Amino acid sequence: MERKRLLSARGITKQYPGTLALDRIDLDIYAGEVLGLIGENGAGKSTLMKILIGAETASGGTMEAHGQKYAPRNPIEAGRMGVGMVFQEQSLILNLTVAQNIFIGEEKPFVKHGLVDRARMNQSARKVLDAMEMQGIAPGARVNRLDFASRQMVEIAKVFHAVSSCQAEGTVILLDEPTSVLSEAEIRQLFRHIRRLCEGGNAVLFVSHKLDEVMAISDRICVFKDGCKAAEMPNDNVSESQLYQLMVGRTASGEYYQVQRQRTPDAEVVLELKSLCQRGFFGDIDLALHRGEIIGICGVVGSGKEDLCAVVCGDRNPTDGRMVVRGKARAFRGPHEALRSGILSVPRERRVEGIISEMPVFENICLSNYRAVRRHRLISTRMAKEQARRFVAELSIKVAGVSQLLGHLSGGNAQKVVFARVLASDADILLLDHPTRGVDVGAKAEIYGIIRDIVDRGKSVILLADTLDEAIGLSNRIVVMKDGLVTRVLEAPSGHKPEQLDIVQHMM
Amino acid sequence: MDQQARSSRIGLEFAQEMKRQSQRERFVSWAPLAVLALLVLLFSLTAEGFFSLKNLQNVLNQVSIPLVMSMGMTFVILMGSTDLSAEGLGGFVGSVTALMVLNSKTTLDMGFLAVVIAMVASVLVSALSGLMHIKGKLPSFMVSYAVSNIMAGFAVLAYRGEPALIRDPFFTVLAQGDFLGIPYLTFIALGVFGVSYVLQTRTRFGSYVMAIGDNEAIARNIGINIDRTKLKVFLWLGVCIGLVGFMGAVRIGRGEVAIGSNVVFPAITAVVVGGTSLSGGKGGVVHSLLGAFIVTVINNALVLLGVSPYVQQAVQGIIIIVAVALSIQHGKSLIVK
Repeated sequence: MERKRLLSARGITKQYPGTLALDRIDLDIYAGEVLGLIGENGAGKSTLMKILIGAETASGGTMEAHGQKYAPRNPIEAGRMGVGMVFQEQSLILNLTVAQNIFIGEEKPFVKHGLVDRARMNQSARKVLDAMEMQGIAPGARVNRLDFASRQMVEIAKVFHAVSSCQAEGTVILLDEPTSVLSEAEIRQLFRHIRRLCEGGNAVLFVSHKLDEVMAISDRICVFKDGCKAAEMPNDNVSESQLYQLMVGRTASGEYYQVQRQRTPDAEVVLELKSLCQRGFFGDIDLALHRGEIIGICGVVGSGKEDLCAVVCGDRNPTDGRMVVRGKARAFRGPHEALRSGILSVPRERRVEGIISEMPVFENICLSNYRAVRRHRLISTRMAKEQARRFVAELSIKVAGVSQLLGHLSGGNAQKVVFARVLASDADILLLDHPTRGVDVGAKAEIYGIIRDIVDRGKSVILLADTLDEAIGLSNRIVVMKDGLVTRVLEAPSGHKPEQLDIVQHMM
Repeated sequence: MDQQARSSRIGLEFAQEMKRQSQRERFVSWAPLAVLALLVLLFSLTAEGFFSLKNLQNVLNQVSIPLVMSMGMTFVILMGSTDLSAEGLGGFVGSVTALMVLNSKTTLDMGFLAVVIAMVASVLVSALSGLMHIKGKLPSFMVSYAVSNIMAGFAVLAYRGEPALIRDPFFTVLAQGDFLGIPYLTFIALGVFGVSYVLQTRTRFGSYVMAIGDNEAIARNIGINIDRTKLKVFLWLGVCIGLVGFMGAVRIGRGEVAIGSNVVFPAITAVVVGGTSLSGGKGGVVHSLLGAFIVTVINNALVLLGVSPYVQQAVQGIIIIVAVALSIQHGKSLIVK
């Protein structure tokens, strides 16, 4: 009983500057199956998906689809080879109808004398939708009139239509977190569609953070960890705890995170969140951050941890609850007001949100606090440069000079400049959002040292770590979030660090 | 479990939030019609002579040029660009049309052929300015502003300071005549609206423009030829600008550059007031039709109320700011430059 192999990948490797995102991945997808893909954030799932659909090219390895060489340069080429993907962010044109969306770019058969025969297009869309048992969706309805679940269904119908019109028999559909906006009933409906697709000789690659869903729908499960395939198994007699065990990544030594330098926080509470809530994103958050403490917040994408940080740093408003900073209730109208209360965020997308590439190093450093470099109410370039030189030496930032444009620095050094700015500001409550993302190993260790220095100066940190390991290694306490709620708070004193497994099972 | 109940509550809240947002959008998309109705009601009560057959004819006459202009502009704005070239280009088309028909300055008498030639020129210039934007990656508003000035210069050069008066009786009749009380020029404008409506709803071009305005990256991934679609938008704009120049010339009976002045701003106002988003991907020609009537009705009533033309201009400025402010979604972290 030889099963038909629709898609296979051999030795797929993806090297990003500083990180190996995928390490020699072998993967086979067979007709008629649902292959579940699980793994922690950053385990390499989405990178693999992007390579399979042609949105990124692999640094190494080969792929085959339907027995032929497969190296798509973009999603259109992938579609021609029978591989389609439903992206996490929806890609429908909201102001067009369902039918127009399904056939966009493929209107030729409906055009007569230059005009699109909308009635015929709607009929064909009806057939596509009916084939997917989506009777409830009207082809003539505009997408912005549909609820999210229906939009998701339309998206699936569109992708399915696009790939099934290719010559090859049996298509592969990649679903990236398809359930994140769906209700339970809608998820069950989606699963029925997936099943029907597969019974028709197609295959689905299902990626989700929700372990129970992956276990409910998959025939086989593939576990990713740190860019490697940790395990691949048929989905029978697999227990959740087994999967958790496999997902948990490598552990670096305590030395790497300088755990010996971890200090016991002071008793003084600098930031207190009291049943903080933002409708639709997170709720009932109670948290006290002490002076000199590092709190790591762990959670998958969509757990609400990013939204929580956006509220704390003043970027968004909470709908309910209170924030108390050093004993005073505060509400911020923007990050500038949060900074006045001593709260500063180091954003994740450094190139976009963290640095001004076209400004020299010294100007970037004094951006958050001009008071230190001001003379007679004007900025003194001399003082700003002096300050910059101090930080360059202290943080051993590799620059040609403090007047070098920041855009020319490597990731690690640019991030150190961001930290210099943080130190130059008077802020003492820092939100570090993935502070070591895109930074090579050596610079990572130095940044950990800087974080320890910062805390030694009596500042406090809320950390959204790049990996679980990093969160455990650096933090005094770990807060686990899932679906917008805190599911677990774990103490992480040096010497008694919690296991990754304890965290993962409250995360997914 | 309690935990589960609470987390599904947050999911539910998210769905509600999204639903509220889409309801709000639906409301906003109907708002222009309500605004128009309210304005008509308001002015009928306050402005003497507003609610009369004579004034209805006036409004229909006055709406024709802004309507044609806004039809071209709608597609430009739908895909997220802005075009200001009509001021100079429209003036140029009007000026040279007057010089080529039977007129006071030249010996030419090309009749309708003159209109065709001028229109072709308009389309070519618009295509050129579009190409500079598309291929040269220059901001559309800047390129078109420059083109506007260049063409305004050419217009004055063409008639050497003294505009030509149109002597062709055919065009005089076209400008002043009416059918069933509706001016001929209004029929032309409604025809342009009809063509625009078909373009938007019944052609691939219409869908692609919407897709580009909504999200150019998606449009590219779908396999849409973005550059070609954009160029077509500028071709259509050229047609509309050509018509505006022609209609302006026959209306005042002479070809001068001033024909183009004060056509761009009312058109952009009409498009935005109608509910087409300046960032693209939302709205359409029906919205702009309503917008054109809103703008025209306000101007018409202000005249009847005896408001000074300078105040009228200020009112138009305020309207566009209010309309843009209303069309922007609040609460999103929006970065505007």
